[in-house]
Amino acid sequence: MSYGPLLFLGILFTLATSWVGLILLPHRQMGALGQHTDTNTAAIYPAVRAGEAQQGAEHYRSLGCVYCHTQQVRPEGYGSDIERGWGRRRTVSRDYIQDKTVMLGTMRTGPDLTNIGERQADAAWHYRHLYNPQITSPGSIMPPHGFLFDVRVIGQAGRSTNALVLEGTFAPPAGQEVIPTRRAEQLVAYLRSLKSSGDLPEAPVKKEEAK
Amino acid sequence: MIKQSQTLRALLPGDALTGGGTDVGNRAALSEIDASCRVPVLFFFLSGLAWLLAGTVLALVASIKLHTPGFLAGWEWLTFANVRTAHLNTVIYGFASQISVGVTIWLMCRLCRIPLVAPGLVTVANLFYNIGVTVGVGGILIGDSTAIEWLEMPRYATPILFISYALIAVWTIVTFRLRAERHLYVSQWYLLAAVLWFPWLYGTAQVMLLIEPVRGVVQAAVNWWFAHNVLGLWFTPIGLASIYYFIPKVIGRPIHSYYLSVLGFWSLALFYNWNGMHHLVGGPLPSWMITVSIVASVMMLIPVITVAINHHFTMLGHFGKLKHSPTLRFMVFGAVSYTLASLQGVASALRSVSEVTHFTHHTIAHAHLGMYAFFSMVMFGAMYYILPRITQREWPSNSLISLHFWGVALGIVLYVVPMSIMGFIQGTMLNDAAVRFLDVVQFTLPWLKLRTLAGLLLAAGHVAFVINVGWLLVRMFEPYRKPVVRILTGEAETVAAAKQP
Amino acid sequence: MSVIAFILLGSVVLLPAAALMALRWAASSGQFRCPDKAALLPFDEVEPVGLETDRILGGNRR
Repeated sequence: MSYGPLLFLGILFTLATSWVGLILLPHRQMGALGQHTDTNTAAIYPAVRAGEAQQGAEHYRSLGCVYCHTQQVRPEGYGSDIERGWGRRRTVSRDYIQDKTVMLGTMRTGPDLTNIGERQADAAWHYRHLYNPQITSPGSIMPPHGFLFDVRVIGQAGRSTNALVLEGTFAPPAGQEVIPTRRAEQLVAYLRSLKSSGDLPEAPVKKEEAK
Repeated sequence: MIKQSQTLRALLPGDALTGGGTDVGNRAALSEIDASCRVPVLFFFLSGLAWLLAGTVLALVASIKLHTPGFLAGWEWLTFANVRTAHLNTVIYGFASQISVGVTIWLMCRLCRIPLVAPGLVTVANLFYNIGVTVGVGGILIGDSTAIEWLEMPRYATPILFISYALIAVWTIVTFRLRAERHLYVSQWYLLAAVLWFPWLYGTAQVMLLIEPVRGVVQAAVNWWFAHNVLGLWFTPIGLASIYYFIPKVIGRPIHSYYLSVLGFWSLALFYNWNGMHHLVGGPLPSWMITVSIVASVMMLIPVITVAINHHFTMLGHFGKLKHSPTLRFMVFGAVSYTLASLQGVASALRSVSEVTHFTHHTIAHAHLGMYAFFSMVMFGAMYYILPRITQREWPSNSLISLHFWGVALGIVLYVVPMSIMGFIQGTMLNDAAVRFLDVVQFTLPWLKLRTLAGLLLAAGHVAFVINVGWLLVRMFEPYRKPVVRILTGEAETVAAAKQP
Repeated sequence: MSVIAFILLGSVVLLPAAALMALRWAASSGQFRCPDKAALLPFDEVEPVGLETDRILGGNRR
């Protein structure tokens, strides 16, 4: 019995099979997915992100948010994703076609962010949360992101309109204010753009829950 | 060949060449093979160990940050995400892969029974490789991470790594073709397969994710096809190849069943590469893909059980030898962990289990059971065997060997067992919508502190090992004092006969 | 897209071709005629079956 031919053929073919099965076929199945236009409302989903939010997605990637936050909602009855209010329906392949880097995530050290833009639309909340998570979520183990903010002396014109409202131990020294940097603004724009609840034929939103 | 042996004898006065009577010729051939590997294998081992130390420090920082988020919070390049990712990439690409290559080179030469061909080529590959890892990890720390798990190194670093992988693969095939021993041992199958599979995996993933990214969730499919195959088709084959060689070699008994090892190899080759999508159970991919991966994951029981029977039955009746051989201790620890890690992996792939354990620390525990308790332990064992032979020096300190073994053995048990349990409870809490999310976070804190403690034990073990290796190297440059026959022939008494030339 | 298509199609042609070449080479060089002896390959005359090769700790002072 000669193993040599088997060895070489096998080494190459075994990997080839899974590559065809798990990469080539899915690519053919999903690679050409396009936006869906609702026949009643003419709404297009998923919409293209605004430039600022797209910049923010790059910061989300660069800061490694994906290592603690997922962006996927599991189906109803599988886990408690929908009961926790992380989405009104499961997410499907089409939800991600606009993402440059798809960041599904594998770890929920923090909550899922698929629909954070819907759950928490208030930009000021996001700024304060990023500056120090203990302000908005005491007990959180998310690290503070002070480097996304500038602490500066309040100018002649008085307090800036975009300065963070901070109280108690979180407040900057007297006469100073905390201003979000450009990066923080873009990141928050991205977070507020995270909404994957559009009605899709393959993933309809339940009637009584849809607005 | 004879001339080379004489050169070697001149280089290494009092080495095992003087060991014993009629064996001199064979012993010389064996020593010549070992000596030919010395420079490249040492380079791979030493740079691998340097990355291990860096990875250990990064791991400790990441572990502390997770229960004390204010720790080192001021520096942007040291965020939890950066440190955690730098840890993964240093230990995977810096430590584990480099030790793997070193072990592969040595095993290939031993089993092909030829001295290493063109060691310079391999040394150049090693140099490239370390430049690649340095650039890659630096890129991650300055925020250029791609955020694609296991492929975080930025685009400007990965081609360097790819070139060195290709060099190593080409070299391995060249050595294989020139081999003096025409018959193949099962270890060579695994090694050859690993060096053929990996550059393909890495190249495909690079092109499809970084150079010309595919759209949408196909990215996730490519990501997990790659990430799981790094474990299954790169580390696992090299780990198993080592176990298949070293356990029989140390105890002096052939493996239990050679036919089982054949079955194990082919079933691993067939099923492992289909496993990746079990990382996406419940995710936004077509369910047929995930189902295929779950089925393949369950089929992994075949190679796992065949390998387990083979390893554990080979050891039967020889457990007393664990007392004497550090290599055997680490190998057997690794072999047992391989069985456990695989069974845990099969279980976690099931939909009902994944519903709980996915997205929790259970997965992190599983990763460490596989990559550390199995793979790294096997690599430590291999290094304990190879280093004295390529340097022709004894291990300087038995106490440091014991400290290393017990530090990492206790450390990894203290890491994996509590984290597996904690992850399971964490998942159960997460799946109960009545439990506040922050309560789940608070529940994990004491367990995460325990993990830091486990990390300290692992770090102590690593430091002990590195000191011992450093000491061994110092001895290489000392004039030769004590002969090495103890390890090389197993005879302590011949020491006197082999005094200074 | 074009690069992907190129790789996909190229691999489909090249992989079986490489495998066939490997098959031809392996067959012609007549490998592995005695798989039964394969289990003994880690051993040789210097380190035969029955010899422990890594007695370092504990009882080495025989």
